[in-house]
This record gives sequence, structure tokens and C-alpha cells, in this order.
Amino acid sequence: MSAGAGARAWSGHRRLPPVLTAAAVLVSVVVLLPLVFLVVQAVQVGWSQLRQLLFRNLTAMLVWDTVSLVVVVTLLCVAVGTLAAWFVERTDLPCRRLLAILVVIPLGIPDFVVSFGWRAVFPNIGGFWAAVLIMTLAVYPLVFLPVAASLRAADPAQEEVARSLGLGRVRTFWTVTVGQARMAIFGGALLVGLVVLAEFGAFEILGYQTLTTEIYNEFQVGFNEPAACALSLILVLLGALLLASEDSVRGRGRTSRVGAGAARPIRPVALGRARPAVLAGAVLLVVLALGVPVGAIAYLIIEGGNSTLPPASLLIATANTFGYAAAAGVVATVAALPIALLSVRFPRRPVVALQRTNMLVLAVPGLVVALSFTYVTEHFLQGRFYQTSPLLVLAYAIMFFPLALVSVRAAVARSPVGLEEVGRSLGVPRRSVLWRVTLPLIGPGLGAAFALVFLETATELTATLVLHPTNVETLATQFWAYQSNLSYGQAAPYAGVMVLIAAVPGYVLGRWFDRQPERVTGAAPAPTASILVAA
Amino acid sequence: MKDLRIRGVAKSFGPQRVLRGVDLDVPHGSFTAILGASGSGKTTLLRIAAGFERPDEGEVSLGAEMVDDSGGHFVPSERRRIGYVPQEGALFPHLSVGRNVGFGLSRGTGRAARVDELLELVGLSGYRRRYPHQLSGGQQQRVALARALAIEPEVVLLDEPFSSLDAALRASVRADVLGVLRQSRTTSVLVTHDQDEALSMADQVAVLRDGVIAQLDTPARLYGHPEDAELARFLGESNVLEGEVRDGVATTRLGRLPVAGWSGPHGGGAARVMVRPEQITLGAVATDALEGTVASYEYFGHDAVVRVRPGPEGLPDLVVRVSGGTPLEPGHRVGLTVHGSVVAWPMEPVELAESSE
Repeated sequence: MSAGAGARAWSGHRRLPPVLTAAAVLVSVVVLLPLVFLVVQAVQVGWSQLRQLLFRNLTAMLVWDTVSLVVVVTLLCVAVGTLAAWFVERTDLPCRRLLAILVVIPLGIPDFVVSFGWRAVFPNIGGFWAAVLIMTLAVYPLVFLPVAASLRAADPAQEEVARSLGLGRVRTFWTVTVGQARMAIFGGALLVGLVVLAEFGAFEILGYQTLTTEIYNEFQVGFNEPAACALSLILVLLGALLLASEDSVRGRGRTSRVGAGAARPIRPVALGRARPAVLAGAVLLVVLALGVPVGAIAYLIIEGGNSTLPPASLLIATANTFGYAAAAGVVATVAALPIALLSVRFPRRPVVALQRTNMLVLAVPGLVVALSFTYVTEHFLQGRFYQTSPLLVLAYAIMFFPLALVSVRAAVARSPVGLEEVGRSLGVPRRSVLWRVTLPLIGPGLGAAFALVFLETATELTATLVLHPTNVETLATQFWAYQSNLSYGQAAPYAGVMVLIAAVPGYVLGRWFDRQPERVTGAAPAPTASILVAA
Repeated sequence: MKDLRIRGVAKSFGPQRVLRGVDLDVPHGSFTAILGASGSGKTTLLRIAAGFERPDEGEVSLGAEMVDDSGGHFVPSERRRIGYVPQEGALFPHLSVGRNVGFGLSRGTGRAARVDELLELVGLSGYRRRYPHQLSGGQQQRVALARALAIEPEVVLLDEPFSSLDAALRASVRADVLGVLRQSRTTSVLVTHDQDEALSMADQVAVLRDGVIAQLDTPARLYGHPEDAELARFLGESNVLEGEVRDGVATTRLGRLPVAGWSGPHGGGAARVMVRPEQITLGAVATDALEGTVASYEYFGHDAVVRVRPGPEGLPDLVVRVSGGTPLEPGHRVGLTVHGSVVAWPMEPVELAESSE
């Protein structure tokens, strides 16, 4: 039931509430700080030095290695994710309900844990194709989820009409089915690209060099700030190019159904003799993406027994991780409220533009956020705040702010102004209406926003390594310390806890967002895709 | 129960002047409809009365109490005791029907009984535990009404509450709502763009046009004696003819017609004359009657609308409403007779295209 269409239209005339507007602008400024800091840093380094650093063979090589990896992984993820979605949603593949669940779970497993698991099983794995394989297995659900959702929402009558107009089954698939899922595929591919650009841990474990791993090494190992800055500029530029491509694709026509009425349930396509082969393919995907990493971790934990396992430090690390994740979740969710309220209730051009600038953060990898913070605290604050919990929480909140914003927007859209007005007209004071109407309606969405940021923070590695206070260890930092020493048995329990924290609730959340009506997340190409950025 | 009084209310949104000085009195216990085309400012007027919007100028009072003087004095919505029924009902989706209806009632003794009483009033006794999404559109609308009535409001404001219902449902929900409001003798204001709705439900109808009330009258007066030709057309189909008024009689191409309303100079003069489609009957061609040719025939079951092309070339078609019966073939020649008196306005002041839509 939608409420108060009239009320929504009228709010378009009203003046922007000053306090809310000020809060939204303030939040946006803070969210964009890493970009500002990066520019400040670049100015300090100076153009002549930057030019030397930018135009050298190493840079060209890194860009080539990174971009080729992004392109190949993205294409593979599109192929795997789209095919898997189509088989699961539209065909008579056996056990497709179970497969639909199993195929999504890898999204919750941190990429560096997938990489770790493979490395533990195949110690000699490495190089470009290993990086391609592991990243594809780790992130293809970013394509699968939105495409599956859009195939479920699409009107099967369009396919029937195409068939009746004389198109064969294959051409119908390409023109109609893929056409319907186009925006979802593109949205998923965009996220895959951004994730691969930002990834550090998985490639470091494999010994494959990308821009991100090189930035980390220049900064943390070589203490070469100018070089790290120059490479960060390229990395952010590549991310921004990806984001900009989204703008150019969106708006070329719509993919929604025209006309009212519920879509009929979809009659699955009979696979016929191809059934066993397709089933085998799906099972193989689950084994590679889920079985290998989870199996490896389980084996390492069992084999390690309890002699090498110090349970106290595992508990402390888990508690620290929970603390940071909860703090980041609260900060990001609360900070998203003003912008979400403003952009849903006053959807005017400047407000929408403000909301969209926050999405620019998607192009800034966690490592760049961390480095820009380090630089500014070192050079302008005499090292104050550097490696303190508040700064780390702020970094998390900024990195995952787009996730919070998209979910909070969806939540706010569920509580139109009209309902609050009705509440007040019934003699109930404003504050009471807030408790009895607004919060119950937006509460679940706020919870989802919190949970998303919580999960991403709990499995974040790169920024944590740079910014965590030296005496506070988290699951990720402990895992990384043991892993770097090749103490796989000791690293495994930390990986195991992260998988438990992330995978199960991550799956539940994914399904929850799938069920959200598409219109509430209008700003995004595909609702699920924009939300499930695995960093 | 109190009167609602609106005096000189003006409101602009940016450069757009939506209301330009509206005066409206809604006597207590009456049912008033505000009729206007979309964009005429009728919803804004209602929102100002409810306290959701402040006027730039003017005053709103409930009974003896001023609730908004467009300056420093403003009684917020929650202290006005105004029941508000928005478009599509706007039920709280997370609350059951019973909790929706009881939303404005204070906790404690009597709430449950009052909720039951109201649900019975709107004919939804067994629906207390249901949730809004389990109800049909009409049922949702009735729950919204019960919720508004629960607080025993001074005035109930209905903002196009029936526009989201389909035609078949609309008539019955309308009748139900009207019955409930009459039974509870609540002062009611309905905003609508549907003339039939306004004319059939209200004791008085205010037509809002260009930000002012163009006419406030009973439905019968408004339909029979609109103050200008534009209002005549807005309130239903009409034939506006050119003619000449002399001594209470209009001479038109439909013959000499007695004039019941004339706002022009005392002696008479050039005039526009309104003839409602149901004032014309079709018969056999006779020597003393005007003749015409059937141009089209639209059948509605209970009646039919015939467009008749009058004899001389170049004159616009006449719209005639006849009871169902046998369809008339286009090209059929008929005689035209006008019954009853007509309304005429002097020709000069209004510049209008001569069409009979």
C-alpha cells in the first residue's frame, strides 16, 4: 500500500528544512574528505615529481596488469553470474532452490580468505590466471544476485511475445531476456570492477602485483609517500571512470514492465538432455567457490587441533572486531539519515546531486582512504588521531557510507510524509508520531543498513592494517599476521570466525534486499548490486 | 461540532500563486465539496485547513477559535481535532485495523469499545485483527474514515478519497462514507475533481478556479444556474448558444426560450444561453420544430448521448441526452424540442470559444 501520493507531490514545493540540510551537507563534506586529502597530498608532492612517478615503466606495467585483470574478471563474472542466474531462475534445473542459496554464500566470504583457502590447498598457485580464477569465484555473486532478482521481476509475457513474433529460443534469450536483465548485469559488472580495483589481500597472498598492492608496499614498506600518492591518483581515476560509465549507460530506456497487473509465474524452460551437464557445472561452481576455501579452513582448524590455538587472543580479536564493526555501523547509519531523508522527501536537483556525490566514495579504495588519513594526521595534526580507534571507525564509516545510504534511503521511502501528517491530524504529537509510525516503518531498513556496514567492517583488511591502534588486534589483523608468517594453521581460526560472521547473515541480508520493491532504490542501477559491494 | 471559516487565504509556491484570496464558510454539520480541476489549489486549501501548510495571507478559524492567522498565531495539526482522510487512505501499514482506528485514542478504558463501535459504523466489524494489505481499496478507505472519526473531530477533511478506487467500487464506497458522515453529523469537507461526486454528495459545492472560489452554491443551483459559461461547462455537458435576450425570453436557433437567470443589463441584449443536454428531446420532424441530423450516438445503458448536427451548415453540434432505448443511426433526421427555462449571460465580458463540449 502506498500512501499519500499527493503529499509527496506537495513536499516538492516546500522549503528545505535548514537543520537537516546543514547536516546533510556536513556529512557529505566529511564523506568526501579522503578525496580532498588525496588532492591536498598531490599538490604537496608537486606536479614535476608526480609526472616523474606517473610516467615510468613501473606505472605502465601496473596499470596494464590491473586493468587487464579487471576486464577479464569482470567478463568472467558476467558470464558465470548471468548464466547461473538464468539456470536457477528460469529453467527446470534440479535442486535449484538449494543451488540458489549455495551460489550466493561466497559473497560473504572475504576475498582474501578465498585466496588463502586456495593457497592452502595448492601452495604453488599464483600469477595472472590464479588471480582471475580466485577473484571470479569470490565476487561473481555480485552479478548473480541482481540478475536473478531482475529475471524474477521481469514479465515472462515479453519472451512469449518475442516467440510469437517469430524469434527463435536463442535470439529471444539474447534480445529479450538479456535485455531485461541488462541494467542488473551492468550494475553487477560495475561493482565487480570496483572490487577488483580495490582488492589488496587476495592478490598479496597470491603474490600478484596490482596498483593497490603496490601502493600498500610503497607506503607501508618503502615509506615512499609521493609514489603511493601518484599511484592512488591513477587508482581513483580508474574507479571514477567505471562510475562514470554507469551514468552513460543508465537512462538509455527502461527495462521495467509497462502496465499494471501482477506478472504471471514463470514457466521454467525445459533443459532436456542438457540437464545433467548443467547440474554438473553448477555443482562444480559451488565446489570451487565454496567448497575449496571453506574445506581448507575447516581442515586447517581440525588438523591444527587445540595445541597451537590460543583461544584468549581469538576471543579478544573477535570482541575488538565486533566493537569496531558495531561502531562503524552506527556511525554510517546515523550519518546517512539526513541525506536519505532529504533526497527522498525533497527530490530536487541539488539534493539529488548532493546524494549522488556521496557515491563517489565507491571509487576510492579502502587503502586510499586509509593512506589519505595517515597523510593528513601526520602532516597537519602532528600525528594526533593516527592509529586511534575513532579515526579507524571514521574511515570504515566513510568507506561503507554508500551501502548505508542506499539502505537508509530504501528505509525512509517506506515511511512517506503523508503517514506522519495523518498521525498528527489524529491529535498525536510530533515526537510520539516519530516513535509510533516513523521508526517502526524505517527500523528494519536502518537495521539492514547497520548490518551491512557491520559485515563489511568485520571483514575489512586493508584499511584496518594501516589504521588500527598498535595494541588492538582484530580478526583481520591477526589473520594477516599469521598468514604473512605462513602459519596457516594459526591463521585459519580467524578466517573461520570471519566466514561465520559474514557468510550466514550476509546471505540472509541478500535475500531481504531482493524482496525490496525496486522503486524505493531508484537511484541505483539494480538494488541488490549497489548494496552488496564486497570490499 | 464547529464551523470552519476560511478568510482571504493566499498561498504561493515560489513564483506560482496557487491560492489568491479564498473565502469559504463550512457550517457545522454540513457537507461541503471543493471542486476544482487538477492544479487548481484545492489540495493546498485542504492542507492549510488541516494545519500541514501555512498560508501566506488570510485566516483560518474553527468555531470561535482562530487556528492560523498567517502570522504569529498557529495551532498545529495535532491540536486542531481535524480528521484527515488522504488519497488512498494512508493507513499505517505496520498496524492492524484495530490499532489504526485506535491510533488517536488515548490508551485505557473505552478504547477497545470505541474501536469496535467505529468498525461497526463503517461495516467492518470482523476486521479488527487484519492488516491494511489484507483489505481491498474500499475497505482501506472505510478504515481510514473510521480512524479519522475516532477522535470525534470538529471537521473531517477528505482529500480525493475515492479517486484511487475503480468505478464500480467508487459509487458504493461513496454512499457508505456519506451515510457514516451523515449519521455522525460530522462537518465534512471533500476535495474532488469529479463533478458527479461533488454534486451527488455535498450540501454545498465550492468551485475553485484560478485560486479563488468562483461560485459557492447548492448542487442544484450550481448546476442549474452557473455564474458563467465556463462554470456551466465545468459542471457537466452543456450547449452554449448565441442569442438575444429580450423581456425574459431568449431568442436562439433552438427557438424562443424562457430565461430563468439573467445577469446582464435590465432590458436585455446579446447573450450566451446555456441549454443542458437533458433539456432537449428528440422527436419526429415537425414543421414548427428545429430539425437536425444525428451525427453520433453513444450508448451508456441507462441513457445515451446523441450529437445532432442542426440544419444550417457551419453551426456546432448539439449534445442531447436521451434515455437508452433504440439506437439512432447517424444520418437519421430528427426534430428538436427544448423544455424548461434556460440561463443566459451577457455576451461581452467572457471571451470563450464557441464550442459545446
